[in-house]
Amino acid sequence: MEPILFIVFGAIAVGGAIMVVTRRHPMSSALFLILTLFAVAALFVLRQAHFLAAIQVIVYAGAVVVLFIFVIMLINVPENKLPLERLTGFRFLGIMVAGLFILEAALVARRFATPGTPTADSGSVEAVGRALFTDYLLAFEVTSVLLLAAVIGAIALAKKRI
Amino acid sequence: MANLVSSIQFADPYFSVLLLLIIAVGMSVGFVFLSQALGPRKYDRIKYSVYECGVDPFTSASVRVSVKFYLVALLFLLFDLETAFLYPWAVLFRDLGLFGFIEMTIFVGILLVGLVYAWKKGALDWQ
Amino acid sequence: MMDPSAYLLLSGILFGIGVAGVVVRKNVLIILMSVEIMLNAVNVAFIAVGSHLGDVTGSVFAFMVMTVAAAEAAVGLAILIAIFRLKETIDITELSVLKW
Repeated sequence: MEPILFIVFGAIAVGGAIMVVTRRHPMSSALFLILTLFAVAALFVLRQAHFLAAIQVIVYAGAVVVLFIFVIMLINVPENKLPLERLTGFRFLGIMVAGLFILEAALVARRFATPGTPTADSGSVEAVGRALFTDYLLAFEVTSVLLLAAVIGAIALAKKRI
Repeated sequence: MANLVSSIQFADPYFSVLLLLIIAVGMSVGFVFLSQALGPRKYDRIKYSVYECGVDPFTSASVRVSVKFYLVALLFLLFDLETAFLYPWAVLFRDLGLFGFIEMTIFVGILLVGLVYAWKKGALDWQ
Repeated sequence: MMDPSAYLLLSGILFGIGVAGVVVRKNVLIILMSVEIMLNAVNVAFIAVGSHLGDVTGSVFAFMVMTVAAAEAAVGLAILIAIFRLKETIDITELSVLKW
């Protein structure tokens, strides 16, 4: 069952990602981004990371993409004023670099072709929480400082009168 | 019928999610195609014009929304992430005991500074 | 359970698409979305290897990456709003004041 679902959701994720990159209007990109994020959440479920899958949907599709869509509506560039994009030599070179990344990943992935041992408890809420609140306590506390810095920075930048 | 439903073995709890997904996608796509296939198509200028609660549209639909929406969405993102961290903490609350309570108090306290900053800067007033 | 090689390959493909989006597109909004795709691709690799080794560290790391991605999106979009107020453009080739 896992290979079939992997192929289905993997294809949705890759297809959605290609659509995000190739759409002209950012609103279509944002909607395809949601599709990709949902497919990735389904892949997390396939790898028994149930908690991360829920957080992926809640935080990404629920908050980050909403932020993107609000900004798209906020700056609302009309269709004919969107930047004109043509495929120049340098851009083609960029696509080649991206292809090189994929090749590199394929070479790395071959080293992991050993059959996995089924593990029950590597992604449940209890397991993640226990690791987060004991072993990775400092990282957890520093995260709050990161979020604080992000909120203060974003408000200071976006607010009209400071 | 009830016998049939109860006889299906739900091997995986996500089976119901998959079923929901299939039904939702099938219904939404199916109805679009059904109305395309079955509905009569008669061109009418008024029928195809932009429709807004029965009155003529006042302005173009693509107006720039205010930056206040961004600030509200930003605070939503902050508290959404905070909830994401609170959830495993709530599950493990009894195991972690006082230690877990203190670390979460520090976490929430630091994020509270962000809320106070937003409040003082007026990101919360709608004027 | 499948071995993680297929997941790592998928992760690499998603990362490559994100890189292509960042390098090729001019629209700053789509560049930011491509960065989100790249971060998600890394999460796929973390989760796949984490469950392969039966180690919860993969999930914790992916959680941290998600938090960083959310913070990055918030600040990046705020910078975009500030730049748009100043220059009325979202074309990254026109934002070349710092270019030498």
